Amino acid sequence: MSLAAKVAGAAGDALRTARLIPRVWIGAVCAGISIALLPLFFPLDGKPHADWLQFVGRFHPLLVHLPIGLIVLLPLLEFAATRRQSLRDAAGFVLQFALVTCVASILFGLLLAYGSGEIGTTVTRHMRGGIVLAIELLLCLAVRRSYLEGKQSRSYFILVTAVLITLAWTAHHGGSLTHGSNYLTRYMPPTLKRFLAPSAVSSHPNSFFARHIYPVLDTKCVACHGTNKEQGGLRLDSYESLMAGGKDGIVIAPRNPDGSLLLQKVTLPPTDPHFMPAEGRTPLTRDEIARIRAWVLAGAPPDLASVPGIFIAEDHDEAPTPVGDYSALMGEIRQMQQSQGAKLVPVSANASDGLILRTTDVAGSFDDAQLAKFQRFAPFIVEAELGRTAVTDASIETLSQFKNLRALHLEGTAVNGRTLAKLSSLSQLTYLNLSRTRVTSDAVAPLKSTPNLRHLYLFNTAAEPTSTADSGVRSTQ
Amino acid sequence: MKQHPLCSDCEDKITPMDLPIPSGLKKEWSVCESRRQFLGRFGKVLGWASLATLFGEASFRHLAFASGANPQAGLGENSLGLPHFAPKAKRAIYLFMSGAPPQVDLFDYKPNLAVQFDKDMPASVRGNQQLTGMTAGQARFPVAPAHWPFSQHGQTGTWISDLLPYTARMVDDLTFIKSTNTDAINHEPAIMLMNTGNMSAGKPCLGAWLAYGLGSMNDNLPTFVVLQTKTNPKENNQPVSSRLWSSGFLSSEFSGVGLRSVGDPVLYLQDPSGVDRETRRKMLDAVEEINRQTLAEVGDPETNSRIAQYEMAFRMQSSVPELTDLSKEPESTWELYGPEAKEPGTFAYNCLLVRRMAERGVRFTQIYKRGWDVHDNVVGMLPVLCQETDRGCYALVTDLKRRGLLDDTLVIWAGEFGRTVYSQGGLSQENYGRDHHPRCFTTWMTGAGVRPGNTYGETDDYSYNVVKDPVHVRDFNATILHCLGIDHNKFTYEFQGLHQKLTSPVPAFVVQGILA
Repeated sequence: MSLAAKVAGAAGDALRTARLIPRVWIGAVCAGISIALLPLFFPLDGKPHADWLQFVGRFHPLLVHLPIGLIVLLPLLEFAATRRQSLRDAAGFVLQFALVTCVASILFGLLLAYGSGEIGTTVTRHMRGGIVLAIELLLCLAVRRSYLEGKQSRSYFILVTAVLITLAWTAHHGGSLTHGSNYLTRYMPPTLKRFLAPSAVSSHPNSFFARHIYPVLDTKCVACHGTNKEQGGLRLDSYESLMAGGKDGIVIAPRNPDGSLLLQKVTLPPTDPHFMPAEGRTPLTRDEIARIRAWVLAGAPPDLASVPGIFIAEDHDEAPTPVGDYSALMGEIRQMQQSQGAKLVPVSANASDGLILRTTDVAGSFDDAQLAKFQRFAPFIVEAELGRTAVTDASIETLSQFKNLRALHLEGTAVNGRTLAKLSSLSQLTYLNLSRTRVTSDAVAPLKSTPNLRHLYLFNTAAEPTSTADSGVRSTQ
Repeated sequence: MKQHPLCSDCEDKITPMDLPIPSGLKKEWSVCESRRQFLGRFGKVLGWASLATLFGEASFRHLAFASGANPQAGLGENSLGLPHFAPKAKRAIYLFMSGAPPQVDLFDYKPNLAVQFDKDMPASVRGNQQLTGMTAGQARFPVAPAHWPFSQHGQTGTWISDLLPYTARMVDDLTFIKSTNTDAINHEPAIMLMNTGNMSAGKPCLGAWLAYGLGSMNDNLPTFVVLQTKTNPKENNQPVSSRLWSSGFLSSEFSGVGLRSVGDPVLYLQDPSGVDRETRRKMLDAVEEINRQTLAEVGDPETNSRIAQYEMAFRMQSSVPELTDLSKEPESTWELYGPEAKEPGTFAYNCLLVRRMAERGVRFTQIYKRGWDVHDNVVGMLPVLCQETDRGCYALVTDLKRRGLLDDTLVIWAGEFGRTVYSQGGLSQENYGRDHHPRCFTTWMTGAGVRPGNTYGETDDYSYNVVKDPVHVRDFNATILHCLGIDHNKFTYEFQGLHQKLTSPVPAFVVQGILA
């Protein structure tokens, strides 16, 4: 550092003799150059250094919030000072203090990065942002003199704005380092997400890797092995970088799960110092490990759609259309649940899964008129359990208004099916039970045009096919 | 009159004000009372109050509302926010084969064993496993291959013993788990583990958890019903006790209601002569009034359970006779279930009853079939057991399927452990024995949530150790809960300082490989 100071000092002397620039500027430029040169003395080489460096460095996140707070306070004070003169001095003090703590934070941050051997674009950007911020603060301090004399108020204003923007940019990268780059986007509404954060895997979006391996790596590994940090020289944020491996060689050995470093590390006992994910982050689940193992065994291909031996239930494939939010009607629904009679029961804790109309308690007395009363809940009802009730064909008309109906139980009712054709407009209907009714094959024929009806039960009816007891319009199960 | 110790307005409580002492002294006393006493007590009260708000409220609240009387029902089916996600199955039926069916003779086909007849099982297969007292003393462990031939069935070509001709017809609908394994080697702990997730008594069973978590679908019938199959004196009947369907630390209204296998399914359901429905109603109303007063005074949640049980019994007076009245069953029912189903208490009869309960919205039914503890007489007992249960299982699944009930019902078939490949006692061409074996056994499931025509897990050549995809009892139970829309890790009940769960504190995993 002494060299830099000497150089800076010499340059300062030369400028002073020239008497062209005020003293404060000379000081500012010298200090700025020294700060900018700091990384030269602690080059980030990706190797961990002495432990005490890291120990001290780990106070960086603590210290760093001090200049953040002070810098945000600065424009506020400056603005308030236009009304209250006494705050002017306060603003000056805050600016000086912000500069001191900012420089200290940079030092600690450098110690942290240098000591832990962390590298990566985000680390570099965060560091450069901090340095630029410190220099800008220095300039602010220099310009502020003239500002107080009533000159250069515009450049001061521009500088403060620049400081704020740099602060936001640097802080964002710092946050990404601690919390992972997907911290902000993780729970973002899907529409916003599509706009801001396009998916990282694109070449084979339907491959086993993209659907079942990449998400595991993304949630459990990429925080330390990604763009932010490249611990062990390893990045796991794309297929190519996963296969390329890190400092210790390849981590995935195709067709050899036991020889794959990645699988070895995640299956160590959690107390082992080499266990991954490190530092108490959430370990991989048994299923996830089994998935990776099967994929490696299959040759770790980037494009294969499925892997032998692994069956993953794709519940999203036939995820039914969500129904609207019925929370507003919840008071009424709850009241119904507490009294005797037909009830509306939520399918699950998610309101968008809809409601079940349950009549078991009052089966014998539940008739067409009572069903009609549920019409205003119609958009939310996904299943109507009307088996063994007193409803008749007249209710089919009502039911055809239940646009989100997926399952309809009419077994053991007086329905004879004259009006069944009306149900074919129910595009969500997959299950219809007409067992033990008086329907005929002619009556059920129009149901063939119901787009999604997969399970039609006609047990003990005139329409029952002779070969098998249950029959599907298309296929069952 | 002697005061009750709990009585608050005790008459002979004496204060200094009542004593015959100088009034100056009384005045001084009252000053002390107001300052020191007040401050001292105030401090304590404040401390307790803050403690109570910190953790008291949370830990006591469930006591008052555990009985399902929570007035602040949330958005979900109930206040617990269950089901956690849209369930595939609304109800479940559990066919429990108590005594442990021998997987080697029924499902786990090991064709290579035939040549191993009477050869010693290699010591490496058993490893250092501790055996039961029944075979630990045996000089040798001769391999006993299955006595009955196996054949392939269905589109899936699944191998099934010829002892199960009916089950063989529906293999394409079933998911076999050949790698089920447990921790216990004796009946009582194993059957407890299977049913309650814990070997020691006092924990709620699967049915009680479901009744607590998912609630009733029919207010006129119990949420959880247990049916016992009549015992067959030819079989080795290990006892089953009511703690297998107990609600443990949950409110007792969630425990299983047993229907008797002989006589009236529920005792004392008929009103006595001279008591009509209205009189009965009036009597119950009066009793309820008294119970409510007790509840208000004492606050014991069990009083709530009692009120609920009285009401349930009243409604069951009409619903149970209707349930057990089989006279309206069509002829096709008897063709399917067989003539045995007409005789109350048989396995087939219970299967038919279970189907009727499924139709009427009973959440969970469990049939216990005892007698599978075949020990030293496999050839003598196993055909009897299979003959008794095989058709019932097939009839139940087929009946549920043709009536459209299998789309939202999960059917489970399991015992508490498996049986050894080596013979217990003498081995001959005519007969052999099999001892308890916890390391692997075969179970099956079918219906809503599980993949039909599927075999999961593999055992070694001796059907002794699991070599692929082990399914521990905990995983088995976690998977059942998953099919019913429950995340087993989130479904907990605070008791004895633990977030108690069906799957115990040990991690459990939903078996993805058997899900539909």
